[in-house]
Formats: sequence, structure tokens, C-alpha cells
Amino acid sequence: AQLTARFRTENRRYTVEDVPFSVPAASETTDLSHLINKLLAAGNVDHKYVEFDFLINGQFLRMPLVTHMEMENISTEEVVEIEYVEKYMAPQPEECIFHDDWISSVEATEEWILTGSYDQTVHIWSLEGKSIMTIAAHTEVVKDVAWVKQDSLSCLLLSASMDQTVLLWEWNVEKNKAKALHCCRGHAGSVDSIAVDCTRTKFCSGSWDKMLKIWSAVPTNEEDEMEAAANRPRKKQKTEQVGLTRTPLATLSGHTEAVSAVLWSDADEICSASWDHTIKLWDAETGNLKSTLSGNKVFNSITYSPLCRRLASGSTDRHIRLWDPRSKDGSLVLLSLTSHIGWVTSVKWSPTYEHQLISGSLDNIVKLWDTRSCKAPLYDLAAHEDKVLCVDWTEAGLLLSGGADNKLYCYRYPATASDVGA
Amino acid sequence: SSPLQDIRNTVGNIPMEWYQDFPHIGYNLDGKKIYKPIRSKDELDMFLEKMENPDYWRTVQDKMTGADIKLTDEQVDLVRRLQRGQFGDVHFNPYEPAVDFFSHEVMIHPVTNRPADKRSFIPSLIEKEKVSKLVHAIKMGWIKPRKPRDDTPTYYDLWAHEDPNSILGRHKMHVPAPKMKLPGHEESYNPPPEYLLSEEEKLAWEQQDPAERKLSFVPQRFGCLRAVPAYPRFIHERFERCLDLYLCPRQRKMRVNVDPEDLIPKLPKPRDLQPFPTTLALIYRGHSSLVRCLSISPSGQWLVSGSDDGTVRFWEVCTARCMKTLPVGGVVKSIAWNPNPTICLVAICVEQSVLLVNPCLGDKLLYTATDQLLESYVAPEEERLQPVQWLVPSAEEQSRGIRLVIQHSKAVKQVTWHGKGDYLASVVSDNSNLQVLIHQSSKRWSQNPFRRSRGLVQAVLFHPTRPYFFVATQRCVRVYNLLKQELTKKLMTNCKWVSSMAIHPGGDNIICGSYDSKLAWFDLDLSTRPYQLLRHHKRALRSVAFHRHYPLFASASDDGTVIVCHGMVYNDLLQNPLLVPVKVLKGHAITLDLGVLDVLFHPTQPWVFSSGADGTVRLYT
Repeated sequence: AQLTARFRTENRRYTVEDVPFSVPAASETTDLSHLINKLLAAGNVDHKYVEFDFLINGQFLRMPLVTHMEMENISTEEVVEIEYVEKYMAPQPEECIFHDDWISSVEATEEWILTGSYDQTVHIWSLEGKSIMTIAAHTEVVKDVAWVKQDSLSCLLLSASMDQTVLLWEWNVEKNKAKALHCCRGHAGSVDSIAVDCTRTKFCSGSWDKMLKIWSAVPTNEEDEMEAAANRPRKKQKTEQVGLTRTPLATLSGHTEAVSAVLWSDADEICSASWDHTIKLWDAETGNLKSTLSGNKVFNSITYSPLCRRLASGSTDRHIRLWDPRSKDGSLVLLSLTSHIGWVTSVKWSPTYEHQLISGSLDNIVKLWDTRSCKAPLYDLAAHEDKVLCVDWTEAGLLLSGGADNKLYCYRYPATASDVGA
Repeated sequence: SSPLQDIRNTVGNIPMEWYQDFPHIGYNLDGKKIYKPIRSKDELDMFLEKMENPDYWRTVQDKMTGADIKLTDEQVDLVRRLQRGQFGDVHFNPYEPAVDFFSHEVMIHPVTNRPADKRSFIPSLIEKEKVSKLVHAIKMGWIKPRKPRDDTPTYYDLWAHEDPNSILGRHKMHVPAPKMKLPGHEESYNPPPEYLLSEEEKLAWEQQDPAERKLSFVPQRFGCLRAVPAYPRFIHERFERCLDLYLCPRQRKMRVNVDPEDLIPKLPKPRDLQPFPTTLALIYRGHSSLVRCLSISPSGQWLVSGSDDGTVRFWEVCTARCMKTLPVGGVVKSIAWNPNPTICLVAICVEQSVLLVNPCLGDKLLYTATDQLLESYVAPEEERLQPVQWLVPSAEEQSRGIRLVIQHSKAVKQVTWHGKGDYLASVVSDNSNLQVLIHQSSKRWSQNPFRRSRGLVQAVLFHPTRPYFFVATQRCVRVYNLLKQELTKKLMTNCKWVSSMAIHPGGDNIICGSYDSKLAWFDLDLSTRPYQLLRHHKRALRSVAFHRHYPLFASASDDGTVIVCHGMVYNDLLQNPLLVPVKVLKGHAITLDLGVLDVLFHPTQPWVFSSGADGTVRLYT
């Protein structure tokens, strides 16, 4: 059987004539790809073979064309509009960085990778996998790390730990010295998540004690007054203190269970996910609760993409759910991506591609997703031998994942073949 | 009657009886009366003529003229042929060979040469009118074309409307006659000698009233079947049987037709009862021997497990990370985290002692406050006599977290906290009255609540809100009021050997697991017998647990499974609890014939932990 299809693409380099073609109904992506390449070669002599991926009504084609259309209830009588994009390349493994203990968190920039580990230390690595700095000041497991500012001379970074504090560090790049500037005290539980806002002057932390606290990220020389410290001898407090004490600017309370993830979705909007099965949106200026999205499982991780303005959440089941934080009815799941077989511990949107995210799970696999194909991920990155606890995606196209096998894997994601050359 | 004159009667075809009373018989052509011929012959003349005239048999009377006519030979012949049913004409042949004019063969020429009618090739107006009428009727819906054919056969129940009192109806209510007793040994022609009557018996038989006789005949013995005489009472017997059938009233026994499916109570579907744990999420590995006991911090962040390898491990719940390992130097039989969220203390049973351990996990303020609370103890001036010794461990043990040691005289097998977190009860394997001890951790003071032993104590439990104390022995559970210091209730478990016990957070329901693989649910408001006895497990139950918020309870068994049940307790006193098994959780490997040893619910989430003999702790969500 034959189908009539019209091909279209956003990419100017690969446009073909906008006329209906008759294609075999059973053709798959490779067949269609060959067809497009033939057409392109006919128009342009020095055309090189390019793999394409095909979308029908915004859904990736992953099976024979006619089966896909039957499943999606698309009429095979009419002309099918097929969009094609250059096929995304598989992420290339680059580095495997060994740690001494489980890796709880990772955040990378263009030059350095920051990881927090269960051996109570924070590590800074170069992109080549060379250990640059190990910071050990926490008395408990480091649960989250974040960059605040990077300069060529000095960087500011944050580490949150189970010892209920968040430390603000200044890392002098030239001297390779790290100095704890501030110790943020106030949480009465393990601080599980921190997030720095876009102005890089404030950050928010979420803790097991059900609270969210907003702190200033600007280093000062003054120490904040600690009102709760009155019952302790001043001297003792001084001795065990690293850095100047800092107290929160504001405390947001409203969750009834531990807060597992926070992020700034906007300049003045905080989004927090919790074990009480809700995602709450807060106004950072006033500290008011703006809206609540409720699910029915514990949330482990959330991420927000300003490109597509969607929240993605990983929870204690197999699904990654996409949410619209602006929806008023509050509990609408737009889409769920299902392929993991364990809890989804960590999710991260791509900073550059609108539709892509990665997720790490307790089933030891990191998956690269495209929201246009929600049944199957684009790629499975099965390198870890134990639970994956954290993932990150940098703007330079580096995918990072750390887990309970003490290894941090880096992948280079070139996206498309043409981008490599470009 | 002379042939010469032409006598023709003109009266026509009328009944000639009309002229019976007239002398004439009609009119001739000239209008003159035709007179009847004179019939002067009497009977004798008629007889003589019959005898003498040879043509008498062919003489007939013409009714029209009254004259006698002698039939000719041809006429006689014609009459005879007609009488035989033959054709009048001699020469007509009725059996001429038939010519098959129309045959099945298609001829090349038309049968007739008649030109076709005009109406055969123009449309019929009448038909057109009829068709248009039908079309109109169809359009108006007066007739429905192609009415769906009713395929149901057109037979009917002949006896549907039958009066049951009619004769046929009574046939339907036919009651079969009772069967006759089959002949026994005494009826045999050659009965065994014990069936034959002795002389006295025969005498007694004869003297008995025929109605009272046990046997209506005397058993007799014959050498062979040939020697058996005819049975003289045959007719009598048949008659009596008929009398029995006719006179004995018989009644139809109404059999109750109950579908066994209807007797099963309607239970809701498990998927309507969500949430409940369904899948294995995490495995906590680290113990090298079987994990006997589990406990969880009140916040749900930390899990503690005690194992036969002599260690206690503290785990982070959400990542399965072992945060701490505490070697205690002995098999850990029972472990209990203090339920008070402001105190960070774990009671651990190791051999003869109960260790109170501060795990130093969670809020720093809390665990330092707990240490301060324990340090603030001031010993009383006079030493009181106690059944146990309270020891302060060495500095090295202090640094590992052990804060107090309660040294018992015998091995301790269970420890449980009171809801407020100050009192704890321990069970000692002993058979004296010192089996159960209640300790107060803040005052370091122990007491022995029972004066005498009432059997081997299996488990003890504090009521979550009221001052009740539950003591499970092998067969029953005793409920004591701690304020009045008296026995309030004794629950009979109907089990052979109780292994574990758990109380509903509402405090009115108790479940007991037993080694004979039964789980008994007691409603304390209802009775001292189990409200329900669940037999879902195949092997002995090791542990039972209730969830603190969700209507769930779980049981762990030696068959390697954990069964999670929905146990809804209603506030309405009239409504009984609803118990529905919802999930069988498998995963633990059976080692040393032991399966799952302990089961525990997360305090806030619908998650269940199970510890098994394979040395793992598993979390199902």
C-alpha cells in the first residue's frame, strides 16, 4: 500500500519540494531518510548522506508509518504532513571521574564540574576529569551543590549538607584555595536542595524540616545575629564554626513533608517539590504561595525549562511527568514519559533544546528524552552499575550523571551531525 | 306406444310427478292431451309377462309418454359401457400416445406465432399506480420495508400458563414414591443361620400382633432355589404397597437454591483502594546475616535494622544509603525507635540487655537535647530495689552512641516504647512473673507489673492513647488497665501460637499474627473473639504492622511474602471494619527456611519495609 505524504522541515539546508510524495505504507524512518536524501542529492550534487528523524503531528515516528498512523488515529486517506529533523546523535562518552563515595549532586559550568559526595566533601573537577579541588568542611553528607558566580579569578559556590547548613565558598582559581565565607544556619533538618536565582544574589534552600529558606548569596564581612544560638556557649559555637553565620532572608513554610527539590522558575518565582505529593509555586518577593500542583506520589526532583516553560518532575514511581506551572487548575499532567523501571531520582531539561531532557533513575540507567516521543527515550545511557542519584546538562552540551557506584560519567551530546562540523 | 304415430310431449323438462293425479301426461304438438296408456295389468299379469316375455329386461317406460319401449341392442350395449365407466363411443381411444408438446428443451421456434401483446412491452399503468402507492406508504412510514426477520423460533412453552392444580400440573409436581427396602439376608432362600428364627422366637413371632412384627414373614431355609415354593402372600403384599402409596401423604421437600457466589460478601476492587505499596523500589544491602527487626524514625527519614550479624545499621530511607553501622556484639532480637519526635533514641535488645542508643541522625538540636535529657538524671538518695540494672556504658561505647544499658537477668526478646517516649516495656524469655518489665528511661527506674506468670509472653504493646497495656501469650491477648492496675479484657485468638501483635492507631483494633499462619483481627468494641481470621499466608507469620495514617496493614511470613491488606476502620460504631487483601509483595529469598522476619510501614508515605532472612531490607512503594 502507498501513502501520500508531504515533507517539511524547519532546517533551510534540507528543504525539499513541497509536493505530495507517494511512499510505501510500511516504510520506517530509515526508508524515509533514504528518500529525503535521494531528493536532496538530486537537487544538490555535493550533498552528503544525513540521517533524519520524522515527526507526524509532533510525535516521533518509531515504527512503520502505517502502524504509527493507526495508533495515532490519523487518516491514511489524506495527505500526511511529515516533518523531518536531522537525527539526534547518540551522546558520546567522554570521561568517567572516580569518587571515593556516592555522588549526591553535580553541577557543571563551561570550565569546571562541581560535585557533592556522601563522604562529606565537595569536589571541583576540570572538564577533562582532573581533580582540581576538594573541599571538606561539612560534618555530614553533602546533598546538593551549586555555582553562584564564576570569574576568571574567583568563583562563588554553595554546598548544602545533611548537617543542616549551607556553606557559601569563595574559590580562588589562581591560588586554588577555597575559603568558607558564610555558614547559612537555620534549617532544622538535612538541606536537600539549593537553587540560585538568575541575578546570582539570592538563593533558596529546601530542607527535610519542610521549610524553604531564601538567603542572600552576596558575601559580606558581617555576621548575622543568631537568635536561636543563645542557649549555647558562645565560645563553643565559635570553635566549630566555619565562616560567618548567615541567617535566612525569608522562610517559606507550607509543605507538610520534606522538601526534596527547589528551583527558581523566574526572577521572583520559586518552585518547590516535596514528599507531601505537591509542587508549590511561591512568590519570592512576598513569600506567598502562588499555586499548588498536586500529584499522587512523592516528588524526588523537578526541573524547569524556560524554553518550553514546562516543569518536569521525577517521583517515586516510574514516570517523568510534565506540568504546566501556569495552569490554574493545578493538577494537570501534560504528559508522562515512561520507560524507567525504578524511581526517577533526578531530571534535567536541556538548556538548549526545547524538547529534550535527561533523567536518572534507581534502575541504574540515565535516559535522554525527547518530549515528542513519550513512549520511548531517544537514548539509554546505561553505564552506571548502581543507582543514579544526580544528572546535569550544561549549555555546552555536556551530560553528567553521578550515582551510587561512585562514578561520574560525562557525555558529549553533539545533538546533530551538522552541529559537530559547525 | 305404437311406433307409427309421433307422440311428442311438449311439457318440457319438468318433474313428471306433477301429472301424477291427471289422466293425461302432457300435450302433443297439436295441443291435444296425451293420455296415459291404460295400465290394466294387475300383479299377476305383470308377473306372467315378466316370466314369459323374453325382452322384459330390456323394456323401459318412457316417462314422457308413459309408453313401454324396448331397448335395441346398441342401446343396451351403450348402457353397459356407461355402467362400466367407459366412453360411450366405442371408437374413442383414451390411451392415444401423448405428444410432449412443452418440454424442458429450448426450441428454436416460438410455440405460437402470435405477435407479442403491446402490454407486454409498455409499462403497466396499474402496476405503476400500485408501486407509487407503496412508495408513498413507505415514505409516510405506514409500512416498513424489510422488517428485520425475527429469527426466534415460533414455538412456545406449552405449559407456561398451566394451572398447577390441574391434573397436568400435578404431574409436574410429581413426587416419586419412596423406594422399597431391598431384600436382605433374611429374605434369602438360604439365609445365614443367625437369621433363622429359633423355636422360641418363632413362638413369640406367632403370638405377636401382625402389625407389631418386625418381620412380616418367617425366614426359611431351602436347600436350593428349585425347592422354593410359590410365595402365597404376593397379592397381599402388592396390595399393601399400593395402599401405602395411595394413603400415605407425601410432601415435596423444598430445596433452597443458593448460589455460593451470593454468599461471599462484595468486596471493593483493590485498585479503588489505592494508595498501597505495589512494587519493589529499593533494596538496603549490607547485613551479612538475617535481619530480624526494623524500626523507623518518627520523621520517616531514617530506618534502623538489627541483624543476626551483631550489628545495627542506620539507613537513609530515600537512597538506601547505610549511614551508620553500630556493632553491638550479639544477635539483635528487637529494635524500637522512640516514637516521640522530640527525642532521638533507639532501644535495641541484645542478648540480656536493652541498649538505649542515640543515633545522632537528623536535627542536631534534637539529638543533643536528648543527650542532655539523659544526662540530667540525678540518682535518688536511697537505692531502690530493681529487677534490672541500669548501667552507664564506657566512654568508648558512649562515643558510638550507646547512652544507657539496661541489664536484665535473662535474654530479652522484645522491646517497645510507649507513645510518649518515656516508658518502654521489655519481654524476657523466662517463665516466671518477671517476663514483662516496664522501664522509665528518664528516671532509670524499672518495675515488674505482674505478680504471677500467665504463660509464655510473646509480645507486649502499649495502647497509643489510653493507659492500656497488651500482653500476648501463646493463645490469648490480655488487656490491662495501667491506671487501675487490673485485667480489663482477655482476647481469645483461636491461634495455636501468637507470634506478633500490632495495634491500629485509633486504638480500637488489634491484629495478631500467629505461627500457624493465621492473622486475627480483633475489634475491641465487638467481642473477645477475632472479628476476622485471615488465612492468606502459607507459612508462619513473623510480623504484623499497621500504617499510621493510611488504612493499611501488612503481615510478613516465612513463605517469603508480605501481604498488604486494606483495613478500613470507620468512625461510625455501627459499621464494622472492612478488610480487603490488596497486594502480595514477593522478593525475599527464603534462606534457612525463614522468609520475611519483620515488616514496617513508613510513618507518612504508603510504603512498606520488609526485612528478610536473606540479609536484605526491601522497600515497596
